[in-house]
Amino acid sequence: MRKIGAARIGIGGPVGSGKTALVERLIPALHKRGVDLAVITNDLVTHEDAERLRRTNLLAPERILAVEAGACPHTVIREDPTLNMEAADSLDRDFPDLDLILIESGGDNLASTFSLDLVDYWLFVIDVAGGDDIPRKRGPGVIQSDLLVINKVDLAPYVGVTLAPMIREASAARAGRPVLCTNCRANEGIDAVADALCAAVLYQAA
Amino acid sequence: MDQPIVIEAIMGSQTDPTLAERLHDISHHGVVEVLFVEPADLPRRRFHSHTDRGTACFVSLPRATQLFDGAVLHLENDRAIILRVGQQNWLRLRPSDDGAMELGYLAGNLHWKVRFEEGCLMVALDRPVEEYRARLVDLQSAGKVSVVE
Repeated sequence: MRKIGAARIGIGGPVGSGKTALVERLIPALHKRGVDLAVITNDLVTHEDAERLRRTNLLAPERILAVEAGACPHTVIREDPTLNMEAADSLDRDFPDLDLILIESGGDNLASTFSLDLVDYWLFVIDVAGGDDIPRKRGPGVIQSDLLVINKVDLAPYVGVTLAPMIREASAARAGRPVLCTNCRANEGIDAVADALCAAVLYQAA
Repeated sequence: MDQPIVIEAIMGSQTDPTLAERLHDISHHGVVEVLFVEPADLPRRRFHSHTDRGTACFVSLPRATQLFDGAVLHLENDRAIILRVGQQNWLRLRPSDDGAMELGYLAGNLHWKVRFEEGCLMVALDRPVEEYRARLVDLQSAGKVSVVE
């Protein structure tokens, strides 16, 4: 196959749902699958998430780029994703063998979506502590994402959430499109997410 | 497991005279397969899918390349693969004289894909029509928008 640049995957979701925690878990899971990767983080006015990732030493620091959204986080992943496209292009130039770039959005609300000009596939992360009614609210992120991840499932009993109906409602709202559950702190469910990403955008036997 | 056919470039349009002739020949002694894509997925450049004959494909196009209906994706002696885009359905909305601004604001706020036609706002339906109609209830009940079709 010709190298035409890395596949690009967006990771969006509300503030505190666990997007960065998921990225931290996905990096070793994808490395284990032989995926050469880099990460772009989006923050409002800091490089907080990029610095957090660099401190983990999971990736070489130059493989983690930060984009400052400045204002509405969804603007730089949807209406005008130029900053993120340029960052991804620069990673492609600096690392010609890259397979995959994870683009983590700044924390936003349930309405954020990714432009398909920017990414090839995108997932949306919610968490049980945000309330089991989130799928019923049918936000565009929940409905339109290629993959919905429900994180912090270990907290369900402590926040009055029964997980099974929440998953059922999420699947119904998404008309059967995939929903996966994770507990990033305990590294649970991460392999399924990594497999889904690889199956969606990387070359592999059918 | 079968290895998917890797599609890394668009060879042209099925209406290009040279390609049309090749496709015609292949249709007689081979098979012209169709890869279907929904309109909402047309901007995608990297994905797995299957043709109508079950052939696995991995589409991996340069970022500057745009899929289109009738794109020729693969050619060999006895097989070709062309892209077919599913039908784009539209919702035709007619605003009242004092409803056009509000309808325009609503459509923009919801990031609907629209075009204009004979005084109507045409909304591309990428999701079930009920989702769009639900957002129009207030404007309809106020007599500011009517759903034409």
